[in-house]
Amino acid sequence: MLVYVLKRVGSSLVLLAFISILIFVALRLLPGDPTTFSLAQGDGVSPEALEKMRRELGLDQPVFVQYWNWISGVVVGNFGFSYFSDFPVGLLIAQRLPATVTLAGAALALAIVIAVPVAVVPLWLRSVWLERITNVFVALGLATPVFVIGILLVLFFANFLNLFTGSGYVAFTDDPAAALGFLVLPAVTLALAIAPQLVRYLQGSIRGVAEATFVRTARGKGIGWGRTVSNHIVPNALLPALTSLGITVGSLLGGSVVVEVVFAWPGVGQLVVDAVVKRDYAVIQTIVLLAASAFVVVTLIVDLLYGVLDPRLRVSTSQARAPRSGDTSVIKEASV
Amino acid sequence: MTTLKVGSTRSLLRAVYDQPSVIVSLATIFFIALISAFSPLLFPNPDEIDASNRLLPPSPEHWFGTDELGRELVARMAHAGQLTLVIALGAMALSIILGVLWGMLAGSHGWIEEVLMRTADAIMAVPMILFALVFVAAFGSSPEVLIVILGILKAPLVARVTRASTMVELASDYARGLAVIGLSKGRILFAEILPNVFPVIVAVATLNIASAIMIEAALSFIGLGVQPPLASWGTLLKIGYSLIYQAWWYALIPAIAITIVIAAFNDVGKWLERYLDRRVA
Repeated sequence: MLVYVLKRVGSSLVLLAFISILIFVALRLLPGDPTTFSLAQGDGVSPEALEKMRRELGLDQPVFVQYWNWISGVVVGNFGFSYFSDFPVGLLIAQRLPATVTLAGAALALAIVIAVPVAVVPLWLRSVWLERITNVFVALGLATPVFVIGILLVLFFANFLNLFTGSGYVAFTDDPAAALGFLVLPAVTLALAIAPQLVRYLQGSIRGVAEATFVRTARGKGIGWGRTVSNHIVPNALLPALTSLGITVGSLLGGSVVVEVVFAWPGVGQLVVDAVVKRDYAVIQTIVLLAASAFVVVTLIVDLLYGVLDPRLRVSTSQARAPRSGDTSVIKEASV
Repeated sequence: MTTLKVGSTRSLLRAVYDQPSVIVSLATIFFIALISAFSPLLFPNPDEIDASNRLLPPSPEHWFGTDELGRELVARMAHAGQLTLVIALGAMALSIILGVLWGMLAGSHGWIEEVLMRTADAIMAVPMILFALVFVAAFGSSPEVLIVILGILKAPLVARVTRASTMVELASDYARGLAVIGLSKGRILFAEILPNVFPVIVAVATLNIASAIMIEAALSFIGLGVQPPLASWGTLLKIGYSLIYQAWWYALIPAIAITIVIAAFNDVGKWLERYLDRRVA
C-alpha cells in the first residue's frame, strides 16, 4: 500500500513538473516579452529604461535560469512579482481567490443537487421514456457552451423578468443578502454547465452497480425496488462517480474563467484574462500551474481515498485498482 | 450482438435506425456549411453600413435584425460562420496529423512513449481554456495562430486513442507476422496498422471539431480570440452581449448557432463512434 501511495504521489509530481515546463516554455517561445508591451504603451521609452526593466524582471537571464528562479520560488510558496503592478503574484491571487472559490463551491453544490436526481429518478421509476428525455437534455447540455447558458440566463432573468442583477459582486462578509443576489446567476450558469457531465458519470456507475449480484440478491430476498435503489444501488454508485471529481474540478476552474467574464465576477479568471491582455507572464504561469495542481491533487486524493473507502481494492492491491479518472473515458465530449 | 460489416448498406441503415437524430445533425451541418461556403455569393456586402437602420429586431426585411452600425446580421453571421468553421476544421486536421504521429510513436517505442504520454497527460490536466490562454499570451490570436493552438491542444486526445489502438494492433497476430517476414516498423505502422486504427480516429476528429468550435467561441467571447474587423460567431456574441439590454437578438442568434453546430457535431461523432466500432463488437 505504501509503495502504491508513494508511486502515485511521485507520478503526480512528475506530471506537475511536466506541466510547469510546458507552460514556461510556451510563454517564452517567441522573441517578444512583456517589455515590448510596455514600450508600445508609453511613447519615448528609452532603450536603457527597457534594458533596466528587463534586468529587474530577470528577463535578460537564460531561460533555464528564469525557470529555476520561478519554480524554486513556487515550491516554497513565493510566486514572484507581477510584471506590471509590482504586487506579489501570491497577493494578487489571494485577493481574487475568495470570489472564485465562492462561485465554484456554490456551482459544485448546485450541480450535485441537480445531477443526482436527474440520474436516479429515471432508474427509480424504471421509465424508459424519462430516461430518453433525460438523455436528450444531457446531450443538449453537453453541447451548450457555458457562456451561452450565461447569456440565456441574463436575457431571461435579468433582461425580461428583471429578477437578478446581470453582473456585479459583493463579498459575503459585507452584505450577505446582496451577495446572494449577485451569486445566483453565475452559480446557476456554472452549475448547469457541469451538471450534464456529472449525470453522465453517475449514469455510468449506476449502470455498473445495477447489474451487480448483490442487487439481484437484494431483490431476491424481497426488498422493494424503491429501497433497492435508495439503499443498495445509489450508495454504491456514488463511490465510482467520485473518481471523476478531478475532471469536474478542472471543468469548474475552466468554466469559471468564462463565467467570471460573463458576469464581471472579480475572481482569478478575470485576473488571468487581464494578465493575458498585458502579457504578464508571472501572473499567467502561476495561475495556470495552480489550476493544473488543483486537478492533479484532487485526482490524487480521490485515487488514494478510493483505496481506503473501497475495501475490495485493499485486498487485491494493484491489479484490480480502480481505473484512473483520466482513463475512464478516453473520448471526451467538448467542454471548456 | 450480430456482427455487421462496416460499409454494407444494411449496417448503415441499422446504425441510422439506432440513432435517427444523426440525419437531422448531418442535414444541419450540411446546411450551415453550404451557407458559410457560399456566403461571399449570397451576401456580397456584409459590411454595408446603414446608419438609419441600427439595431433593428428580426423582421421579414431583416431576418436576423441589424447590428450597431445597421449592418445585416444575417450576412455577418454567414461570413462569421465561414471563419468559425475554417478555424475548427483546420484545428481538427492539425490535431489528427499531430495526434496520429504522436500516438503511433508512443505506441511503438519504449522510452519515447513515457515522454510523449506524460506530455499528453500534462496538456490534458490543464483546463483547455487556460492552456489556450497561455498560448494566446505567447503567440497572439490571428485565425492562423488559433488553428495551431487548438490543433496542438486537441492532439493529445487523438494521440491517446491512436496509441491505445496501435498497441492492440501491434500485439495482434497479423502485425507480429508482418514483423517476422521482415517488414520495417514504419511500414507496419503506417501502411498496415493505420488503416485499421482509422475508424476510431474519424470519430474523435468529429468530436474535436465540436470542441474546437467551443473553445474558439469561448476565447473570442472573452475578447482573446478572433479580433475585429474579422469576426467569428464568438466575436459577434461578444459584441452582442455588450448590447444585450438594447438588442436581445444580437447575442441570442450567434449563441444558438454555436450551440446547434456543436450539438450536431457531437451527435455525428457519437454515431460514428458506435457505427465504426460495431466491427469490433
